Amino acid sequence: MSTARQLLRVRVTAKDAETLRSLLREARPDVGGRPRQGEDGTFSIEAYASPEEAEALEREGVVVTTIEDATATGRARQAEVGEGDRFAPDDAVPRGLALKVKDA
Amino acid sequence: MSYLNTTEVESAVTSLATAFPSACDLIDLPEPSVEGRAGHALRIGTAPAGTHDCVVLIGGVHAREWGSCEILVHLAADLLEAGTEGAGLAYGGKTYTAAQVRNVLDNLDVVVFPLVNPDGRHYSQTVDPMWRKNRNPANSGGDPSRIGVDINRNYDFLFDFATAFDPTAGVQVSDDPGDIQVYQGPSPFSEPETRNVRWLLDAFPRTRWFVDVHSYSEDMLFVWGDDENQSLDPAKNFRNTAFDGKRGVAGDLAYAEFIPKDDADDSTVLAEQFCKGLHGVRGRAYSPMSAFHLYPTSGTSDDYAYSRHIADPHKGKILGFTIEWGKSFHPPWSEMKRIVLDVDSGLVQFCLTALA
Repeated sequence: MSTARQLLRVRVTAKDAETLRSLLREARPDVGGRPRQGEDGTFSIEAYASPEEAEALEREGVVVTTIEDATATGRARQAEVGEGDRFAPDDAVPRGLALKVKDA
Repeated sequence: MSYLNTTEVESAVTSLATAFPSACDLIDLPEPSVEGRAGHALRIGTAPAGTHDCVVLIGGVHAREWGSCEILVHLAADLLEAGTEGAGLAYGGKTYTAAQVRNVLDNLDVVVFPLVNPDGRHYSQTVDPMWRKNRNPANSGGDPSRIGVDINRNYDFLFDFATAFDPTAGVQVSDDPGDIQVYQGPSPFSEPETRNVRWLLDAFPRTRWFVDVHSYSEDMLFVWGDDENQSLDPAKNFRNTAFDGKRGVAGDLAYAEFIPKDDADDSTVLAEQFCKGLHGVRGRAYSPMSAFHLYPTSGTSDDYAYSRHIADPHKGKILGFTIEWGKSFHPPWSEMKRIVLDVDSGLVQFCLTALA
């Protein structure tokens, strides 16, 4: 069985939209979310990359900042996944998170 | 509480079907996953199946976007429990009356398929949390790093992207099995997961709305995803080969995908109402927009769902949507619970708007 790659969650900030488009076209990073325009006119997007890939995204007009170790965060979340089957007992039924309310 | 594991998503669906037999049916999807896992969906509604128009909701397509399954399981549980008790639903600051819940249950078929990609979810929750694709090794050549197909690039819509799109478009798809994220597969519907979704749409021919639950960016997307929308020139459409090589460029005059104005307006209203229902919970502001504004794509579920009636006039028209919930793939469960409330409220409002 394979093991997880180490991926960083990074913010890629370009000086303008065309620079970001060009980077996304050429480097084809694994992106999360969509591009956002900053108040200073820059354009940024989140991406997931190995440390080496993140470094390779750096170029003229582009700044790459690390947000977190996405793989480490994901591993921490794996500890928040249920074990076994909580719905196995005959009387165990999922309950929705909304409150069930009677009309006023 | 915690995230549901793969077994528990399936168990939740079958438990709901057993607990609420008068208000839902268990649907066995015809094809198991490559690793042999069966898929199930629920049809929720008090009238016999096929009596009313249908909304199909799917989730768990991209393995790492765990919370999509919980969003749909909890929505199903909310509707069934409230309907049985004659109760309304309160999602934070947004409340739906008992009559509104009853309206959804009595006048709509709500088909919920929470886990399209069980193999991928299992792998993401136990090995590689950032895994996105399914676990099909057929095109890997024995190389574990080349396993898997991006299910949401495997539908039959502009599948030959190299021909259809402008080379500079930066369309988010790949024909390289080594692409760790967006490999489209060898042919449309090569994967059992996409064939199961197609089967659902065929099995419920009164489907008029389709929603695919993903993360992340806090958006509610509607068609099209290949280019910007326009309602003036029907000749500019995905079937017209005269525009091959011109699709996918933002802000140009060469091409924009045609959508009749009525469909564009209906899609916009439904997306806006989803966002309004969501906003009422705790003030999160999701954005309604066409999918192209996320990035250009081919082979996605929402475009396929809407394109079906154009490619085959015998099929009914389905307005297609994609939710992009939250601001990360794996929020802590404490935050994911709040996102479930947000999105489920939006989906109840979506259903009510569809019925209006």
